[in-house]
Amino acid sequence: MDIAVETRALRRVYRSRNQEVVALDGVDLRVARGQRYGVLGPNGAGKTTMIKILVTLLLPSSGEARVDGLDVVHQFRELRHRIAMVSGGENVGFGMLKVKEQLWMFSQFYGMPSAPSKRRIGELLERLGLSEAADRRVSALSSGMRQKMNLIRGLITNPRILFLDEPTVALDVGAARDVRDEVRRWMAEDPTRTVILTTHYMMEADELCDRVAIVNRGRIVAEGTPAELKQRVQQNAIVDLQLSPGGRLLDALRAVEGVAAASVTEQDGLDRFSLQLSNDAALGGVMRVVEGSGRQIRGVQKREPTLEDAFVKLVGRGMAEEEQA
Amino acid sequence: MSHPSAMRIFLKTIVARAYPRFVAAYRNRAWLITETLLPLVGTIAMIYVYRALHAPARFLGFVVLGGVLLAFWQNVIWAMATQFFWDRGAGNLELFAMAPTSLAAILLGMALGGAYVSLTRAATILLVASVLFGVSYSLSGLLPALGVFVLTISALYCLGMLLASLFLFYQREAWQLADAMQEPIYFLSGFYFPVRSLGAVVGGVGSLIPLTLGLDAIRQLILPGTPQFIPLSVEVLAVVAQIIAYAALSQISLRYLERQARQDARLILRST
Amino acid sequence: MSTAIRQWRGFKAATRLGWQISSNWTQPLVFVLYSVLRPLSAAFILVVMYRVISGGGANTAAYLAFLVSGVAFWSFVQYGFAGLSNGIAEDRGEYKMLKYVYTSPAHFYVYLLGRGLAQLASAVASALIVLIVATIALGLPINPLHINYPLLLAASSLALLAVIGLAMAFGVLLLQARDAHGYGELGSGVLYVISGAIFPISVLPGILATIASLSPLVYWMESIRRSLLGSQAIRMFPSLSDGDVLLRLLVTTAATLILAHLVFSWADRTARQKGLIDMETNW
Repeated sequence: MDIAVETRALRRVYRSRNQEVVALDGVDLRVARGQRYGVLGPNGAGKTTMIKILVTLLLPSSGEARVDGLDVVHQFRELRHRIAMVSGGENVGFGMLKVKEQLWMFSQFYGMPSAPSKRRIGELLERLGLSEAADRRVSALSSGMRQKMNLIRGLITNPRILFLDEPTVALDVGAARDVRDEVRRWMAEDPTRTVILTTHYMMEADELCDRVAIVNRGRIVAEGTPAELKQRVQQNAIVDLQLSPGGRLLDALRAVEGVAAASVTEQDGLDRFSLQLSNDAALGGVMRVVEGSGRQIRGVQKREPTLEDAFVKLVGRGMAEEEQA
Repeated sequence: MSHPSAMRIFLKTIVARAYPRFVAAYRNRAWLITETLLPLVGTIAMIYVYRALHAPARFLGFVVLGGVLLAFWQNVIWAMATQFFWDRGAGNLELFAMAPTSLAAILLGMALGGAYVSLTRAATILLVASVLFGVSYSLSGLLPALGVFVLTISALYCLGMLLASLFLFYQREAWQLADAMQEPIYFLSGFYFPVRSLGAVVGGVGSLIPLTLGLDAIRQLILPGTPQFIPLSVEVLAVVAQIIAYAALSQISLRYLERQARQDARLILRST
Repeated sequence: MSTAIRQWRGFKAATRLGWQISSNWTQPLVFVLYSVLRPLSAAFILVVMYRVISGGGANTAAYLAFLVSGVAFWSFVQYGFAGLSNGIAEDRGEYKMLKYVYTSPAHFYVYLLGRGLAQLASAVASALIVLIVATIALGLPINPLHINYPLLLAASSLALLAVIGLAMAFGVLLLQARDAHGYGELGSGVLYVISGAIFPISVLPGILATIASLSPLVYWMESIRRSLLGSQAIRMFPSLSDGDVLLRLLVTTAATLILAHLVFSWADRTARQKGLIDMETNW
């Protein structure tokens, strides 16, 4: 297998005067060339730290990382020719510049000749529907347009490996779809290109990635194709319960015999409990607990498993809950 | 895999990083007010101090020339040395750092872009203050003075790169320190009085800043009657030596501190 | 909660914030250097300039005292005026919190007053240290036992009121600009020239001297020197008694505050009309 990114026992500790934060705790990762590889996890899981190490901005505390066959610690100058990174919610550059000027400026830091660089910028602006904004000042862009511009910045220099760190965070549905479509199109142009994408949107990872690593608290807790990961919860019945708001109920539901895992999210003013049941009889126990709580049932639905369910099973609780922990 | 040569990237980076500064100066003319009037007001205040003391006319010239070089010192400190602090906050620094270019080229680009504003500022002070207060200069020394000026500015920018690498490391504290050091530097460099007045020890310490000797040399060349601090030729040689020393030191320190910054997560705004 | 308590809490929070921004976000040592090194060096620059011309004779102490006292107390204008007016632009552009302050129940005036007082607090240490160091090092005729404290306090209270009023009006006026960098310093630079801080205003050309005589800061500087140095003070207004100087300070301060209020109200209204309070800037 031709490997694009490989890490071994990668560890990163942030130290300040009062505390020590272990952001990455022995990560082993292998990403084959040509893949769209997702790193999925809650905020604070260590995803961004991993990306910053892989793009040479941060040194690991220990362990090894190679990108495109090059060591990120020692061969970083050569590696920087081959990679690009785009982060979500970026506000980089200079508001006074026009969009095409800003993109040209970044291309020059890679030594691109001006004429091909401008041609490529024109093509990419066209492809992402930004041609009309080419002469607009960066400060006047909406967040969706800005993120598309950032993506173009990452693509102009034709990197072999593109790192996308939460690229659709805070974007509306349309802009997020455009960004994902462009990533697919860019990958389809050349089968040797690789994308490493971090996200905490399960749906995005499911839809866009060939393989996914689920990261939590600095460790990879599972790895595989989205289908393989979902397979892990296939033997369970997944039931969503929509209940009126009320006191704590999650622990009581988890304690019911036959409930393999449970998580809760708030949706439209209701609490949505996702339950993984190892047998159908467990539903009766669940209903008795709900009735005892005084909450009203607003909806019950059985559905197919998602990556979120896989996460809950692996970690023991939902992403939102994990972020608050 | 073939890439553009390091020299090509270096030069293109300088031009590209200077570009936003040029554009900003053109598109937002508000700087014309603050960047020319503020230093002019400062220079005029000092000129009135000498006026109140009934000082000879050449002293007004000392202040005007000091004001001219001060414009470049401020460019080096605020538009170059401390700039990484702001770039990091805006998220630009990590994009600069992960490009296959050098931080030195980024810094030089910033300085080149800022030099346009500094030149305008310096020219305004020179013209307005000289005309307003009737300061005259010796024309015979003008060309050599221009040469010394170029050498001084070169040494200054090399020092600026050295400071930038330190500021990359010390960040907010460095920014505060640079702010705190403004008047002490004006004092040590003799911006408003002949360097000789500082005496050998204080003047010697001040000479570590390239402006001190450069300014004294320029004054000796175009303001007859300037009290000599050290001989002109020695001053010029010292400035040349400073170019070499500060250029070498800045390269070493940029490389060292970039590695340290990667180690200590100082290039990035952290979000695990 | 009563209105007074709410305003007091807003004031306290603003003062604390102003202090934190100007001091605690950096190392204490750097802050001390910042508060002392700058004005001390500014004073030494003037001392050297004076010594170069006068030759450092025995009769130079009075003029040196004129220069040093001007620089020492100028810290209040530097911090109060430039600090506060820049602070308003910073709160909008860099910290992006002006909109929240503006829409909070605390009166905007109260918030700005708190922010300004924090700046002035930073100036106290700096002024005291410059005076003490320069008095000892240069043998200035300042004796703490002979200082006219009532005059010093009365004049300084009035002048600082004027400084904060001006800074508040100027700061809100600066909201009109997308990029307000440097205007605070420019404003205080202009005041420096026309306030008799480092040279008597009689040196200025006629029109500037007339404008300067309308500024409360000139009478403040005069009062400071008279209170610190008594009969040895070099006087910009030899024909005026201490009471006359104080009276002029009172009148010009009142006029300044009225003018500042008018400008503030206009700028505040305009800022709301144009939606400038939460404008994205090129910070």
